[in-house]
Amino acid sequence: MKTGGKMKTARGAMKMNKLGIRLGAIVFAAAMVFTLNGQAPVQGSAPQGPVTFDRLLKASAEPGNWLMYSNSYNSWRYSGLNQINPQTVKDLHVKWIFQGRHVEKFETTPLVVNGIMYLTRPENAIYALDAATGRQLWSYEYRNPTRTYNCCGKVNRGLAMLGNTLFMNTLDMHVVAVDARSGHELWKTEMGDYTAAGGYAAPGAPLIVKDKLIVGMAGGEHGVNGFLDAYDTKTGARLWRFNTIPQPGEANFGTWAGDSWKTGGVTTWNNGSYDPETNTLFWGTSNPWPDYNDDTRLGDNLYACSVLALDPDTGKLKWFFQFTPHDLHDWDSTQIPILLDTEFQGQMRKTLAWANRNGFYYLLDRTNGKFLTAKAFVKQTWAKGFDDNGRPELIPGNEPTPEGNDHTWPGVDGGANWMSHSYSPLTKWLYVFAREEHRVFSKNAVPHPTTDEPDRPLAPGALPNAGAYDPALGGAKTAQVGAPEESWGKVIAIDPATGNLKWEHRVLTPPWGGVMATGGNLVFGGTLEGMIFALNATTGDRLWTFSANGPVFASPISYLANGKQMVSIPAGDLIVTFGLD
Amino acid sequence: MWLRISLGILIPAAFLCAQGVQNPALTGEAVRGKVVAETNPFNTEADLQQGSALFQLHCSYCHGSHGEGGRGADLTAGVYNQGGKDPDLFKTIRTGIPGTEMPAVRVSDDEVWKLVGWVKKLGSAGLSEKAPGNAAAGQAIYAKNGCAGCHRIGTDGSDLGPDLTDIGRRRGLAFLTESIVKPDAFVPNRFRALQLEMKSGPNVSGIRLNEDDLSVQVRDVAGNPRSYLKENIKEIHREKPSLMPSYETRLSKTELGDLVAYLNSLKGAQ
Repeated sequence: MKTGGKMKTARGAMKMNKLGIRLGAIVFAAAMVFTLNGQAPVQGSAPQGPVTFDRLLKASAEPGNWLMYSNSYNSWRYSGLNQINPQTVKDLHVKWIFQGRHVEKFETTPLVVNGIMYLTRPENAIYALDAATGRQLWSYEYRNPTRTYNCCGKVNRGLAMLGNTLFMNTLDMHVVAVDARSGHELWKTEMGDYTAAGGYAAPGAPLIVKDKLIVGMAGGEHGVNGFLDAYDTKTGARLWRFNTIPQPGEANFGTWAGDSWKTGGVTTWNNGSYDPETNTLFWGTSNPWPDYNDDTRLGDNLYACSVLALDPDTGKLKWFFQFTPHDLHDWDSTQIPILLDTEFQGQMRKTLAWANRNGFYYLLDRTNGKFLTAKAFVKQTWAKGFDDNGRPELIPGNEPTPEGNDHTWPGVDGGANWMSHSYSPLTKWLYVFAREEHRVFSKNAVPHPTTDEPDRPLAPGALPNAGAYDPALGGAKTAQVGAPEESWGKVIAIDPATGNLKWEHRVLTPPWGGVMATGGNLVFGGTLEGMIFALNATTGDRLWTFSANGPVFASPISYLANGKQMVSIPAGDLIVTFGLD
Repeated sequence: MWLRISLGILIPAAFLCAQGVQNPALTGEAVRGKVVAETNPFNTEADLQQGSALFQLHCSYCHGSHGEGGRGADLTAGVYNQGGKDPDLFKTIRTGIPGTEMPAVRVSDDEVWKLVGWVKKLGSAGLSEKAPGNAAAGQAIYAKNGCAGCHRIGTDGSDLGPDLTDIGRRRGLAFLTESIVKPDAFVPNRFRALQLEMKSGPNVSGIRLNEDDLSVQVRDVAGNPRSYLKENIKEIHREKPSLMPSYETRLSKTELGDLVAYLNSLKGAQ
């Protein structure tokens, strides 16, 4: 890791102070012109106040906005809006389209604040649009180097916002702060050397907690050493770093054989959740590396495939729970933690609900990490049960093999992946767009010394890229098994207390999009073929569809524009926004 | 001789590279600076077999297990948009194709060469094989059995099955024989058969052109592209993946050999 981010940040802040004064003058002058003319350029575009931490805490109280990645700190991805409901949804139609004009997958979750939509477009561009019409207000483009080390596409999943500032992670391991009114860059901080080990990247959306920006990173297929960072939202200075692999002298060091901890991966590439009541930050971690070859990394490999409960003020670990000890299948636990207060065995509990990539739904006590229950939500062949602490009892024969193990379910992409799940306080059910498929798990031989990234030599001391994730393959050393119709997707409603499925809505192919439940008792989502859908949240019946005919790699949002409920979702290189008349 | 020398340089250099010593022959510079060998230095039968295994691991998800294409290009066509010479293919596999979904394949340089060998084999499997049968007799069998009702050779025929214009170059004898006697053994996704059992009206047989949760698009047995809403379909049958009947018992061994010889003679315009 390179250091010195503070110096760069301080210089940037000074420059931006000067720039800010100039910009302020320009904005003031422009405002005067509009006032004098008696009109604004786009209706509803004027900010009605900055996004304070207090507003973020009470985000669900302003359903007209979408203030953070999962809409609220409990990560329900639930919109309280109900204009679109089982009675009106038949009249839902396209209101506007944003043209991404980019070949990369569109994985963003836009924010909507006071009538303006802020979205990221691959690789690291930000667009501000009038949320009612999709008309562009400004854009900002962060230029990455030509070669970045993202495993699975040059994607970005979205922004965080505090005050009038937007925050974005970049593929070359920077965090940038951008003025939400103008698109001007305010500061830029380097998280670390993106070329170190097999390569680091930061494709996820960051999360605001108080005055801090919580930022994860990726590279679990590249032999990196993972962490979760917090930055000062005003200056970009790093405030703390939690090492997701315990370093020598830290608690729980020693669960990796030999020196394998140095390159064990364990990244933090998705978004997290925050519980203000207990002042706890929850964040999931990725697989250990090498993904499918454990010869050099015997042990539980903490804190891989885990959820971390951290003090957001200090970055200190409160507790952790490892879903998949000593993972061999790339079953990241980077799903977004869902915080629920739910009755469990007759008692109200503060819980964490988690449909994991390994195919099991888990319910944990979020005050202490205690395991409450787990139940498979897709076909699985690898665990026969759990002990009292939630440690899986393994079924032998599911390990990757040199010739390829083709009988393990779920596949490398898991029963769930990074796409958002949703919880509805109306039905009190959890909604998951799950994947039913299996693949070949191959254990590659001892890393070949010439294995390398194509555009550069190995860095001194770096390991070759064994077990690397090949985006064209959909998973390292794996291949599709069976005819296309032998794998499928399904939206499921889960009773959080038991893990029992309440209903299942099957779709043609395993999805890469998430779901959103609404106050209109609907569940929105989109398929890989580009069918956008609304389901009845109580029955799972499909009530409405739109054929966008471009794959959905993202999760929907909903907001108000001029008092009318809108639903937006990326499909192909478009963002399609629907509404009623 | 040059090949042996280059190989002698490449392998030790690879180990140096692992120690952090930059060598242009092993980096992107090797591609940009055209230090890549002019012909494939890994060309033994064992290399080819390793290339086949590597292809299954790294390429088949997009290009199909038999190179028939899908999300990626059809590699049996023997047509390479980025160039078909060994260094061109090396570069394409090594660095990917910018602006497309084709990524740089993360294997070692010698494994790239083995992939180059297999990819070329996919586009020319039949060129190295000569069928023992009577091609002229096979042509008559092709006509007599109505193969042109589904297959196309040049401008003649139909599009329900794979185009056979250059099948003798694309596919080897074993593959051709299997395709005739066991047509369900391997069916490219774009020729997978469907039988639509309609809620009302006549049922439909054809090949699947496209599908989502709302509708399915087929080319019916008359060759017409059609689209059906699933709400009008009672059930979609997919049990038999190929529309083609087996000719295992319809042809004698001699006839089968002759038909394979005819198909093997179809090398296309190249």
